[in-house]
Amino acid sequence: MVGFHKPATLAEALALLADEDARPLSGGQTLVPMLNQGVVQPSLIVSLGRLRELRGITRLAGGAVRIGAMATHAEIATSTLFEAGQTLMPRTAVQIADPAVRAAGTIGGSCAFGDPTADWPVTLCACGALIELASAAGRREVPATDFFQHYLQTELQTGELVTAVTIPPLAGRGVYRKFARVYGDNATVSVAVILDVDVDVAVEAGRCRFVRLAVGSVGPRPIRLTAVEDSLVGRMLDAAAAEAAGAALAAEADPLDDLRGSAAYKRRILPRLVQRTLLEGINP
Amino acid sequence: MIDITLKVNGSEQACRVDGMTTLLTVLREQLLLTGSKRGCDYGICGACSVLADGRLARSCLLLAADCEDRAITTIEGVAEPDRLTDLQQALVDAGAVQCGFCTPGIVLALEALLDVDPKPDETAVRTALGGNLCRCSGYGAIVDAALKVAHG
Repeated sequence: MVGFHKPATLAEALALLADEDARPLSGGQTLVPMLNQGVVQPSLIVSLGRLRELRGITRLAGGAVRIGAMATHAEIATSTLFEAGQTLMPRTAVQIADPAVRAAGTIGGSCAFGDPTADWPVTLCACGALIELASAAGRREVPATDFFQHYLQTELQTGELVTAVTIPPLAGRGVYRKFARVYGDNATVSVAVILDVDVDVAVEAGRCRFVRLAVGSVGPRPIRLTAVEDSLVGRMLDAAAAEAAGAALAAEADPLDDLRGSAAYKRRILPRLVQRTLLEGINP
Repeated sequence: MIDITLKVNGSEQACRVDGMTTLLTVLREQLLLTGSKRGCDYGICGACSVLADGRLARSCLLLAADCEDRAITTIEGVAEPDRLTDLQQALVDAGAVQCGFCTPGIVLALEALLDVDPKPDETAVRTALGGNLCRCSGYGAIVDAALKVAHG
């Protein structure tokens, strides 16, 4: 027997979630299949469906965007509040799973699951997002690059809930490329780029002013190398430079052999996918 | 067990559920609305699709106890009894139904699309069907039917 509560306030929800056998229910697109398959057996399910403070997307003074943990992928995909490099967010959201999952699944739920083959971890690392956590003991913010730690392991402690994700102001434009076996599948390899360039159309290249580059689904957590980003800034970004950046990331990749492809295959397609994503940032 | 009231196809239904009972289980086993099919039971096949507040949803991924404030439409509720919607008739006319197991979910996925995009192009139709598996025939006749009902 599993209990069910749908509290009206966040404080009440956090008090219930202090029990380590309780699980929060957001959009249900991960928790419910795990329940159906017997992978998790909580004593209590705490629905977050009535908590207004977890909803909505708002633009803050200064240009950051705060996304409530209960915002669905579909809401993020259609939001017009993301500007410049922040457009990586809707461009990622529209590629998550399929329409039914996008309509129900939430960014907070996806973060809390911490699946490195999912789309949000790699994009949030590229954005330098902050993930806001709350528990009965208080609140804290954790950078996405620290939050996602290992396969299905995050910084979340017992009793903590993801309450919001904040995207800082970012220059340029966002591009997300996901290589998957079929529409709707998790990524075999994914690449998230935020790029601001002075484009020289004649040579199909551009001088890089700002770049954020992360790859996902090729190891236990997203890979973002600030040394690679720094090496690109101020340089002409052409096909060769873009592929070299991909090769540097592939050298750090630690993919698994799994049903989405062999580790060798993922390592091989990664540099080219990075190259294509960066070039799409130059020539949209 | 928890006593809940669900609003399904316009009528209120009293049900008794466990916290982890899915909406699909309640629809099929308590309300005997067996048009929603249990294919995979973990959100991959789309055969259990319903509309929740007008939006496409997988009933195997909704907990019944979490649905009290939502208006649920199942395949049994999309048309008047003994009538077909234009889309359903188009699927029949196009020969888009073989074993029929996926068809209720396909109908709801396409009705959800046509509700927000009455004149979809082929890409939009295929995207809308992205979460619905058909293992009989492929999707050609299904896509043809959707385009026909939208564009004549």
